[in-house]
Amino acid sequence: MISIEKQQGLLLAISNRLKRPIRVYVVGGTAMMFLGFKDSTLDIDLVFENKEDREVFEEAIKSLGYKGMDTTIVYGGKANSPEMFTLGDERFDLFVKEVIDFTFSEEMQKRATQTHQFGGNLILKITNPNDIILMKCATDRLKDLDDANSIISNFKVDWDLIYKEAINQKKLGKERAVFELGYFLERLENKFKMDIPQKVKDDLWNALEAEAESKKKEKR
Amino acid sequence: MEMKRILKKLGGTQNIESIMTILGVKRSKAIYYIYRLRNAGYVKTKRLSNNRRLYNISFENKLGGTSYYDILNKYSPIKITSKEIYQVYGKEPSLEETLVYAVKTQRLRIILASLALFKRIENWSGLYRLAKANHIERQIGALYDLCRQIMRTRKMTRRFRNHALPKGASFFNYVVPHLKSNDFQNIEKIWRIYLPFNKSDLEDYK
Repeated sequence: MISIEKQQGLLLAISNRLKRPIRVYVVGGTAMMFLGFKDSTLDIDLVFENKEDREVFEEAIKSLGYKGMDTTIVYGGKANSPEMFTLGDERFDLFVKEVIDFTFSEEMQKRATQTHQFGGNLILKITNPNDIILMKCATDRLKDLDDANSIISNFKVDWDLIYKEAINQKKLGKERAVFELGYFLERLENKFKMDIPQKVKDDLWNALEAEAESKKKEKR
Repeated sequence: MEMKRILKKLGGTQNIESIMTILGVKRSKAIYYIYRLRNAGYVKTKRLSNNRRLYNISFENKLGGTSYYDILNKYSPIKITSKEIYQVYGKEPSLEETLVYAVKTQRLRIILASLALFKRIENWSGLYRLAKANHIERQIGALYDLCRQIMRTRKMTRRFRNHALPKGASFFNYVVPHLKSNDFQNIEKIWRIYLPFNKSDLEDYK
């Protein structure tokens, strides 16, 4: 587990080793730490705008002693799995635009308004809490349900925004996004007995049904 | 009471009375809660001239770092509060970086506050490099000329001016979209930049 103070020291050390300035979107537990939803995290999830930026970042963390690890241990055979690096307890999950069944869309990038700059080279944009829920649904690891529950309990979630982003993901070619979100919300509801607006669930399942119908017609 | 709940209730600027009212507790208990929040890093205290204390309570205080707004508020007579969070860690943002950040926001009050920085800018080559990288060197030049008309500033180097002045038929550009000046049209013509201020806007600097 990495605490807020330790994380800041680590990010500064990385910034000092970066060859050039890069901008990175922070999702997952680290974003939650910056937003005050949790005090520590297992892994640092970052989304890069392009592969070149990720390579520059990889070089920096390798120089700190981080070693690459097998992604299948955590993500199985999922598509768009990140590059993973670990040192002791800490782990970096480095994505490029695509996060499993989701795309880190332009709308998500615009909503990431909070910025934290480490030294002169590392600029972190913190993902909007609503989008963190979507990203948690995308990665769907052991602690992701707990994290999503923590956000929903402490933040006024904009369910309409979440639904619209899921539909946007479908337009971006991520056909599983709506299904994954619906399934994730159902599990959240069952595990934590929380009230997710019925309208959101209905809209999601209706969208899925419409998609199934359209595929049926295509086959005919 | 759980720390996170207290933090959520007290977020913002408070004095001891407001804390007592919000939490519904006695003075001694309110002081105890402030003590706990401060130990956790959530409190910044400002002592007023009458020795009373104001507490800025927020999660961002725990993260530390310096924001560009802190720098602006330190040097400018016009104070800024902003919902936008841009924290810098591991280094103090330079005045040149702060000025460029302020101009890039395209927000009237932030740019107005940033004019005070021209009194202290020393690294003109650094400022030019940053401004050029952000394509705002003409905006910076025009704002500097405007400043010279209302206050004493450090002198811009000839090199900055020569490089930044528009060459050939440059298009007019805005500092703040759609805002033009009635009082500084001569500067606007020189830099081919529309300035967002009139003389009356700059009274805080007199």
